[in-house]
Amino acid sequence: MRRRLAKYYPLVPVYALYLTLFLIGLHVRGMWQSMALLAFYAALGQAFNIFLGMTGYVDFGYVAFLALGSYGMALAVSGLYKFDWLGGGIVVIGLLLALVMAGLLSIAVGGIALRLRGAYFAIATIGVNEGFRYLIEGARLWGGSEGIIISRNLREAFGTAGANYLSTFWADTLIFIIAALAALITVRYMHSKIGYALTALREDEDAAKVMGINTTKYKIIAFITSASLGGLIGASAWALKLTYVFPADVFAIIYTVEAIVIVLLGGAGTLLGPLVGGVIYAALKYWLSVTFPGLQLLILAPIIIIIIVAFPQGLIGVLKAKVKGTALEKVIV
Amino acid sequence: MLAGNLVNGLLLGSVYGMMTMGLSLIFGVLRIVNVGHGPFLMVGAFIAFWMFHLFGLPPVVSIPLAIAAGIVLGFIFFYLVIRRLVGAPELTTLLATFAIGILLEEIAKFLWGPDFRGFSWNVGKLALPPITTIPMSKIYALISSVVIALILYLWFRKARSGTAIRAVMEDSEGARVCGVNVEGIYALSFALGIGLTVLGGTLLTLFIPVGINPYMGGIYTLKAFVIAVLGGLVSPWGAFYAGFVFGLIENGSYTLFGLIPSIEPFSMTRFLAFLLLLVILLFKPTGILGGR
Repeated sequence: MRRRLAKYYPLVPVYALYLTLFLIGLHVRGMWQSMALLAFYAALGQAFNIFLGMTGYVDFGYVAFLALGSYGMALAVSGLYKFDWLGGGIVVIGLLLALVMAGLLSIAVGGIALRLRGAYFAIATIGVNEGFRYLIEGARLWGGSEGIIISRNLREAFGTAGANYLSTFWADTLIFIIAALAALITVRYMHSKIGYALTALREDEDAAKVMGINTTKYKIIAFITSASLGGLIGASAWALKLTYVFPADVFAIIYTVEAIVIVLLGGAGTLLGPLVGGVIYAALKYWLSVTFPGLQLLILAPIIIIIIVAFPQGLIGVLKAKVKGTALEKVIV
Repeated sequence: MLAGNLVNGLLLGSVYGMMTMGLSLIFGVLRIVNVGHGPFLMVGAFIAFWMFHLFGLPPVVSIPLAIAAGIVLGFIFFYLVIRRLVGAPELTTLLATFAIGILLEEIAKFLWGPDFRGFSWNVGKLALPPITTIPMSKIYALISSVVIALILYLWFRKARSGTAIRAVMEDSEGARVCGVNVEGIYALSFALGIGLTVLGGTLLTLFIPVGINPYMGGIYTLKAFVIAVLGGLVSPWGAFYAGFVFGLIENGSYTLFGLIPSIEPFSMTRFLAFLLLLVILLFKPTGILGGR
């Protein structure tokens, strides 16, 4: 019993941190939005890490999954808001639809792109991201370039107060929950056959294949998991919270870049890494936008370059090496 | 109408090809995908703009300046960043080049502001009845592209450094054994690739004389990817020919999509480009044209 629970120990610092952030947001005046921002980036990092960190492949079109998740939620709300008896179930259906849509896209993309290696894979994923966006705009799908606005629908279904509560409290709380879920899944994968297979193929894909590991299967598992979680994030952090979905916003490549930076900064393939990376990145971005408004990217870009060149294993990666052989080894994962 | 569009497509294609040669060169030699490709085009476009705005020099005259500026930038970034990343996993180089691109965009925004700039260079038109009339500036773009591509071809074939580059493209270890200074070739290829890209941006302004702004590069990065893959990622010549093909496809499909009422042709054309990209990556990643 103790043995089986032991593998969940690394979750303790993670959940402690999430709980702390959540409570700070709840009880300290004016901090809710900031904590929500931290949670968003942490969740994004954890979800993305399941693919990027564990396989080493770069999905440059990751944001497409968040986009599809947003559309899922928006479509569910705009389609079902008239059915009063569904109540809060609309949101649940929205989340499920987000999951399904993001998942389907990932199966389609994964089936195609994961046959490709390295740079070709990255280019293919950029292609999918942009291609899907232009398909929506070009074929005038789901509102085309005008997108979907669900603020009125939410108000009609839940009343103004209810809709507000949904978009502020529940949307952000959902993000915390998704982050916690992503962390749980990461730990479960890490200590299972999936995790070992992924580590093997990340280190040396050809050797892994020679050893008989079905690399494509495991890559697809990681890909779909990461994508589905991304869909959930998009559904809550974008559709539910902002109450609108515009293709130009939700397919913006900047979020993919931020996800990559967060995972890299914290430590790709680690559990704590994306969380730490997310929190630091969000804090840094916020601080920069206040101190040097308009210059955030100008300052971030060279920082990114320095991190890539000097610390590719990220903060937690460095920390892990330091605590090797000590008691903390089991916890800093 | 379609024929006129196709002619335009060919003209634009020459510039598309020119602007992608740098991308393919860098990948062919260093195996690095320059995801920051677009922003370098933007630099070239601004060079064209400022030369015209301040000194009245048309883009064609700015060509040597653009190439020189690009080569200098290329050497700077190579020695600062890229040199340490040769042979690193793809993630690292992709992110590094992307960050360099962002840096360029932000510096441009800082120096020149986010507003759209433009200029117009009118040197008369060429009439090709009954198809269409073409502004002479676009003809000059075509001539410039072809001439430069030709010079590059001869240089690769005849000159020692050009041959050395081809050697490294084919087999860097073998080239090293033959006494080629591979690190030097890496630097030269990267710098040359950036130079060509900046040049591409300058020529591009002959087709989009308004709409020059720090963030204009993004969409061209994507188009360049499609063209480069079409031509076989590793070959600059493939890229050059593929540019023409792409120009034709783009203009042709825009006209054809425009005929379908419920479709928005501009976005749909771009969608087609990515569909093409995916299809080629799946079935013929070595490209349809040229390429090795």
